[in-house]
Amino acid sequence: METSRLPLSSSIRGKLISAGYTSLSSISSLSSTDLARDVNISEAEAFDILKLANQMSGNGSTCLINGAKNAWEMLHEEESLPRITTSCSDLDNILGGGISCRDVTEIGGVPGIGKTQIGIQLSVNVQIPREFGGLGGKAIYIDTEGSFMVERALQIAEACVEDMEEYTGYMHKHFKASQVQMKPKDILENIFYFRVCSYTEQVALVNHLDKFISENNDVKVVIVDSITFHFRQDFDDLAQRTRVLSEMALKFMKLAKKFSLAVVLLNQVTTKYTQGSFQLALALGDSWSHSCTNRVILYWNGDERYAYIDKSPSLPSASASYTVTSRGLRNSSSSSKRVKMM
Amino acid sequence: MKPQSLVQQSPTNRKLTTGCETIDGCLRGGFPCDSLTEIVAESGCGKTQLCLQLSLCAQLPISNGGLDGSALYLHSEFPFPFRRLHQLSRSFHLSNPGIYADHNDNPCDHVFVQNVHSVDHLFDIMPKIDAFARNSKNRFPLKLIILDSVAALFRSEFDNTPSDLRKRASLFFKISGKLKQLANKFDLAVVITNQVTDFVESSDGLSGLRVGNLRYLCSSGRRVVPALGLAWANCVNSRFFISRSDDTICKERSEKERAQRRLDIVFSPHLPGSSCEFMITREGICGV
Repeated sequence: METSRLPLSSSIRGKLISAGYTSLSSISSLSSTDLARDVNISEAEAFDILKLANQMSGNGSTCLINGAKNAWEMLHEEESLPRITTSCSDLDNILGGGISCRDVTEIGGVPGIGKTQIGIQLSVNVQIPREFGGLGGKAIYIDTEGSFMVERALQIAEACVEDMEEYTGYMHKHFKASQVQMKPKDILENIFYFRVCSYTEQVALVNHLDKFISENNDVKVVIVDSITFHFRQDFDDLAQRTRVLSEMALKFMKLAKKFSLAVVLLNQVTTKYTQGSFQLALALGDSWSHSCTNRVILYWNGDERYAYIDKSPSLPSASASYTVTSRGLRNSSSSSKRVKMM
Repeated sequence: MKPQSLVQQSPTNRKLTTGCETIDGCLRGGFPCDSLTEIVAESGCGKTQLCLQLSLCAQLPISNGGLDGSALYLHSEFPFPFRRLHQLSRSFHLSNPGIYADHNDNPCDHVFVQNVHSVDHLFDIMPKIDAFARNSKNRFPLKLIILDSVAALFRSEFDNTPSDLRKRASLFFKISGKLKQLANKFDLAVVITNQVTDFVESSDGLSGLRVGNLRYLCSSGRRVVPALGLAWANCVNSRFFISRSDDTICKERSEKERAQRRLDIVFSPHLPGSSCEFMITREGICGV
């Protein structure tokens, strides 16, 4: 594209061309100061020219690869992405507001720490309508262990609806707010539940998800409870296991980006034998640890449950305590200094 | 592939009553179907008593908290307490005469007993269980599988080396995977018992690893942990712990002192951590 086609005043256009800047690509790499000096115009004018040139090329004509984005746009997009609350504000705080969409988040911990509880909580919370600061989405729950209990999901859904009603009650005093339309039954209806009984079924289901999500809009979270179970049974060929797993991880990553949804993979812990002693580590080995964007580890500290951010490209390492109540995940009540930044 | 509807299902998983109101209340109705439940206790706490009672209660009609089905009892600890089962079945028959057609129909006829010597043997009979559950067309279809105990299968065969431990762990997952498959396919309740080992404070701190709420894991005044370690803990859906306290409380009805036992929920996806107390009488388990 040529500079003569930029919507500029004729005097400035003339100056530009006489200084030798005839094509857009010739000015795109310049700073406004350089351009002002070379063309002999004010810096503000030069800045406007660059802005215009940038806009023109933003139409894709000069993009090297179709669909490429710059970091600025990505940051903007990321900030506007909604996050799924965990119903525990301390946990939300260290997660930067909740479980982020477009990412694959892995959550692991010992049996009984509350992995399944977080899974059920998220599949309910993703449905909180937009008026209440939620996503108004639907959930896919892939159950490989048989730990999903409908009665527990119903309990958490009821508590969630109650909380929203209480919130509207409060809002009514100040504003006119909409009535809560959701019923606990609707919440259960919007959780697509898949029970998977073998690893072949699991692989097949993950391959099918793309189609399923295209047909069912509004799926905003995919929860796998747990990713591990069928892969710890009898895989004599560990290399094959790694291949199958990393292919699955790639599929999840793709789904997360394509439909801008959150993928939450629950993982077990295992003991790892290093240098003559056993240590605790998330299952599935070292190569798997690259497969997820964020990693959260749940652990006991005394009588309290804690979550720790083990890996994340954008969040600082931090830990926070939480409790599992009959109403679902909540803040731990005991201490005021619950969030510890490291 | 289609998702299952959560609404059309009954609002809760079906539960199998234990025949004891106190424990049922604590477990919100009993042992859930389509789920693996583990009972951990040291010997003499009443694991087997509870299992025997469950295998009879499975025959109760659904309206009474039963499953209207028969039970398969896989035992790896010998000998099988036939005498005790017979004793329990008699009182069970007397208190529930309505569900049996005539006097020849004995509750014991609907409890199938199979011994298991080794892990391989268990895998051998798994396909047979599948066929058995599919073909049981009589009045009581198979609704409950009990494995008593899983620890006995593993206690002798494996060394404490990393490679053996890894092999052992993958067998755990295989057993659990197969059982969960059966449980899902036929809507069975699966109950597995496990032994305990003494808690040893070690330098690497791993045996003190906290799985669920370990606070209560104290039996006969000792600190104990469930056998088979962390890998096995990942394989079950719910874990209950039974302990006995040596102080005896109940002297009514018979002169014999009875030890009081206590059932704790270590972890479970649908239950809060809680506990209840019970004792074992001639008629079976009853709450205190």
